[in-house]
Amino acid sequence: MSDKIRLAILGCGAITRSEHIPAVSAHPGVELVALIDTDLARANALIQSRNLTCKAVADYREVFDQVDAVINALPNHLHVSSNMDCLGAGLHVLCEKPLAITAAEARVCTEFAEEKKLVLAVGMNRRFAASHLLLKLVIEEGLLGAIQSYDFQYGGAFDWRSASGFYFDRAKAGGGALVDFGVHMLDSVIDWFGPVTAFDYQDDDWGSGIEANLFLDVKHEGKFGDTPGHLRLSRTFQLANRLLVRGAAASAEISVQDSEVVVIRRTIGGCPVSQTMRLEKISGSSSYWRQLNNFVESIENHAKPEVDGWQAVRVLELIENCYAHKGRIPEPWAEIGAEIETGPGPESRSQLSKATNANAQTGKEART
Amino acid sequence: MNWRSETIFVTGATGFIGGRVCERMMQEGVPKVRALVHGMHRAARIARMPVELCPGDLQDRESLRRALGDAKVVIHCGLGPASTIMRGIENMLAVAHDAGVKRFIHVSTAAVYGITPPPGSETEDAPLRRTGDPYSDNKAAAEKIVLDYGRRGLPVVILRPSIVWGPYSAWSTRLIEDLRAGHVAFIDGGSGACNTTYVDNLIDAMTASLENDAALNNAFLITDGERITWGDFIRAHMGLIEALPEVKEISRAEIAASRGKPSGMLLGSVKATARVARSKPFREMLLQIPITEAAMKRAWNWVGSLSPEKRERLRSRFGVRRAPAAKANARFIPDEVTEATQSATVFFSIEKARKLLNYEPRIKFAAGMKLVEQWLRYAAYIQ
Repeated sequence: MSDKIRLAILGCGAITRSEHIPAVSAHPGVELVALIDTDLARANALIQSRNLTCKAVADYREVFDQVDAVINALPNHLHVSSNMDCLGAGLHVLCEKPLAITAAEARVCTEFAEEKKLVLAVGMNRRFAASHLLLKLVIEEGLLGAIQSYDFQYGGAFDWRSASGFYFDRAKAGGGALVDFGVHMLDSVIDWFGPVTAFDYQDDDWGSGIEANLFLDVKHEGKFGDTPGHLRLSRTFQLANRLLVRGAAASAEISVQDSEVVVIRRTIGGCPVSQTMRLEKISGSSSYWRQLNNFVESIENHAKPEVDGWQAVRVLELIENCYAHKGRIPEPWAEIGAEIETGPGPESRSQLSKATNANAQTGKEART
Repeated sequence: MNWRSETIFVTGATGFIGGRVCERMMQEGVPKVRALVHGMHRAARIARMPVELCPGDLQDRESLRRALGDAKVVIHCGLGPASTIMRGIENMLAVAHDAGVKRFIHVSTAAVYGITPPPGSETEDAPLRRTGDPYSDNKAAAEKIVLDYGRRGLPVVILRPSIVWGPYSAWSTRLIEDLRAGHVAFIDGGSGACNTTYVDNLIDAMTASLENDAALNNAFLITDGERITWGDFIRAHMGLIEALPEVKEISRAEIAASRGKPSGMLLGSVKATARVARSKPFREMLLQIPITEAAMKRAWNWVGSLSPEKRERLRSRFGVRRAPAAKANARFIPDEVTEATQSATVFFSIEKARKLLNYEPRIKFAAGMKLVEQWLRYAAYIQ
């Protein structure tokens, strides 16, 4: 019997095709046993096109006795039930983000994994991007001086060709841009700057719950003290697509497109200078490979994965808090006809809301 | 008819005009909007609203039947590539007719008179004639089919807007990009007729067409009713950009000399118009969606990743060509479509719409420009 971890991938949609299969194929520690999809033709087509030797199975329950772990890449609304089934069968789970539609469900999954002493890792691949890892070093080693604030923008014409098209269904997706890509941004900034203790959130939802644009001002309380941050996310407009961290001595910028480098900007003798840094040594071919590798090491060493369920709970709680206290982005160019219903006006939004549930993990009291 | 209590079916809903129609219908409080969606990934703007996203394709009649559902009002903004316009409209009309639709608004175009409308085409009385331009000719032929269904009992209205502009329109976003790149000139001093139609004015004409039975089986030219020139339109956008490259004047004679052939080829030569229809700017204008430089770059990267044979096939099919790099100090020469569009001399009359629809443009050019400016800032096109 091989000592490789036997693996099944649940769901043969876009992310499985583009990222998980290449990562699994390139990792020596895992053996892909099955691709699971209710659409068997889709699974078989994928197996053929990639010359895989695994089998195609319609129901994941059929492979419970043949695998040690699963990568769960089903549509968002199916994450919880399938995670619970797999954990119940004694399998380790690497679940695509978001872990669940609600924080409460994510908590149930996380507690269940703990009870079963199984690894439940959450697919926050950006944590494993070279630029993310390097920026963390840059900040923690004090290269920027005292951290002052950050500005994080991500936006472009939405073009994710999801196989199931669940993205625009509130019940299945759990929300719009904030749930979809905002989880990555929030997961990253919480990892760098600490828990969010206050926020002000506005989006352009006109009643479907699927926002395309959002503005989020936050305050972190972490090891660098209070850090204010501004996040903007768009599914309709091209934005700068970068994170800019401002420090007392220098600023650092990472681009969403280029996941390799960190650009440091400062002045020397009054002259502005920039410096592009990259990690000279980094394992694996992609952030998904490193994420998988961390999952494998966690299973082998009975260790906590880099992104565990509690971290996902923390982000989902913040997102729920944002949705519960949201304001409406003013769109004066749209208000030509009848009045549209608007959220709380700017006058009631002069202060950041308390992120009351955002510190579940630390139990810290929130304050504005 | 009391359309405010009806389910409204919108085609072209992921585009600039259809997207705004969905927004306005929401604001008007109609009980249900069903939106025909061909590419779900393009639906981010309308997915913000509680509209029903109905997958379907104008080329697939069965999908249209499912998408239409129980709607009795159709606002047809859908288009598709020039070669498919006719079958698309035929399918939509047939399905609407079968379903007993009570009002069918067909968004046509003033370009049924050609990209450069000849003098005498100020009113709806002007006859439609073949122009040699596939878009114009197909839209004109589509109108004939619409009126044919009108005679068979489908209550139809045809609206002919001209330069439909407003938030989300490529007329503004592309002009901003072109101005920054130095790819804009005042053709003949910018004196050409622009015939702006602010998108909300067009939608006012749609709702007026739903309300007035006098509209039935008629075609209406719809503009802002102001004599805005291309010079006005371009200068208004120039005011929004800092550190602007100089915009020079160029006469049509100079353009012709630079091309080594007489001006006005566009209308006469089928070869030339085919070239126009394939051209990037023209296709972008028809799509009427903001196409960003980044999106174009992604497309080019994709094209670059193909084998040379595939690339050639793609090129010959869509006329895809790399835009020539701008030479320093080289004089900018507008392309043929831009020249044809901005050489119009006809200002369309909206008297018929005023009389029969009680249409009155609410948004004047200056007010529309303010709204566009606010939107461009929000959408990060300008600082």
